[in-house]
Amino acid sequence: MSELDQQFYEPIVNMLLCVADDKLFLGHRNSDWTGIAPILEADIAFSSLAQDDIAHANAFYELIHSINGQNPDQIAFSRTAEAYRCADIVTMDDEFNWANAIARQFYCNVYEYLQLQRLSNATWIPLANLATRICAEQAIHIDHVTTWMDHLGNGTEDSKARLQRALNLYAPSASMMFETPEGIDLLFTGGILINDGCLFTAWKEYVDNIVEGTGLIILVEPCEGVGGRNGKHDADFVHALSELQEVFATDPLAAW
Amino acid sequence: MVATAEIFDILQTIPDPEMPISITDLGLIEGVEISDTVVHIKLLPTFIGCFALPAIAAEIKQKLCEISGVETVEVEFIHEPAWSTDRISEAGRASLAEHGIAVPEIGSPCTSHNEIGTVELRTSAIPCPWCNSHKTTLKSPFGPTRCKSIYFCDDCRQPFERMKKI
Repeated sequence: MSELDQQFYEPIVNMLLCVADDKLFLGHRNSDWTGIAPILEADIAFSSLAQDDIAHANAFYELIHSINGQNPDQIAFSRTAEAYRCADIVTMDDEFNWANAIARQFYCNVYEYLQLQRLSNATWIPLANLATRICAEQAIHIDHVTTWMDHLGNGTEDSKARLQRALNLYAPSASMMFETPEGIDLLFTGGILINDGCLFTAWKEYVDNIVEGTGLIILVEPCEGVGGRNGKHDADFVHALSELQEVFATDPLAAW
Repeated sequence: MVATAEIFDILQTIPDPEMPISITDLGLIEGVEISDTVVHIKLLPTFIGCFALPAIAAEIKQKLCEISGVETVEVEFIHEPAWSTDRISEAGRASLAEHGIAVPEIGSPCTSHNEIGTVELRTSAIPCPWCNSHKTTLKSPFGPTRCKSIYFCDDCRQPFERMKKI
């Protein structure tokens, strides 16, 4: 179906914001590594990943624009904190610790990849097409972060210990990626999205499979409580948001 | 009214800003619609985050507006069908190879939907575009543009770029 029934506008916009806001902020945080990543290839990679993620976010904001007419730049930069739908793992301070950056990237990339695979089966065709396209690019992100997990996880005792510490540090916020956005049930019952079973279970299986043999342990539990997907954000998010909006706020109507 | 063939002739002369290949040989053009003096071009981005897209759109508008009988040119980016390396023409492949840019064989994971998301960066030996040796290594999956990776040939000791199979 290419036309969306009006009853689905709100829940689909809400769901698209979850995906887009995750990518916008992850891209924003990853671009912090430009120029200072530990090796040249990693520097190019994180800059490229950031470029991809922000472009993907923009493509989803444009899809939202096709539903409600809102300007993509305004959606990205002009909301108040509680209107953003990202999980706060994407804005957690990584303290410029490379293991932290990789652990976060690992958790988020696998989540995004599986989520996009599911969205590529949406019955609303514009969403299915876009998700299919982005999923193919996301596969390159997965390939990259898997290489780093292998490199650090099978490296020295020191690299393993640092990576395990980082995986543990990000575990509680990783579980909040799976918080249910409002209205998602309506999208399933209305046949807009196909319910492919528990996303957390699929994710856990995928990440466990990647670290198998390294001795690393993934301690992420299923989600409990209320967080970013429902607009309840932490201090790191508020800080990241103020940074993100700083330039835009000087002239919200400027053409970039 | 301007003929579609004339539009294609002009598009054929527009190079990609980042590679030695025309935008038609790169397979970016999905549709040309002409209605009176309005030309509507449907374009497929290679990668969604490609920086060259605005430059390509601007160039198309400028060139096509020079044709008599054309007053308005619209460029629309679409995602269906997804662009893939399979869309690069034989002439385009030859031009890229001449400049040391390898292009994957036909058989993109994007063309068959059931295989989306597979990556072959490390899984097969990539022939060097300079000397055809298969003794090559991936140096960086991310290259100077979103659509290319960087490899090194252990035989002729030359780096080369390769378009990501997508």
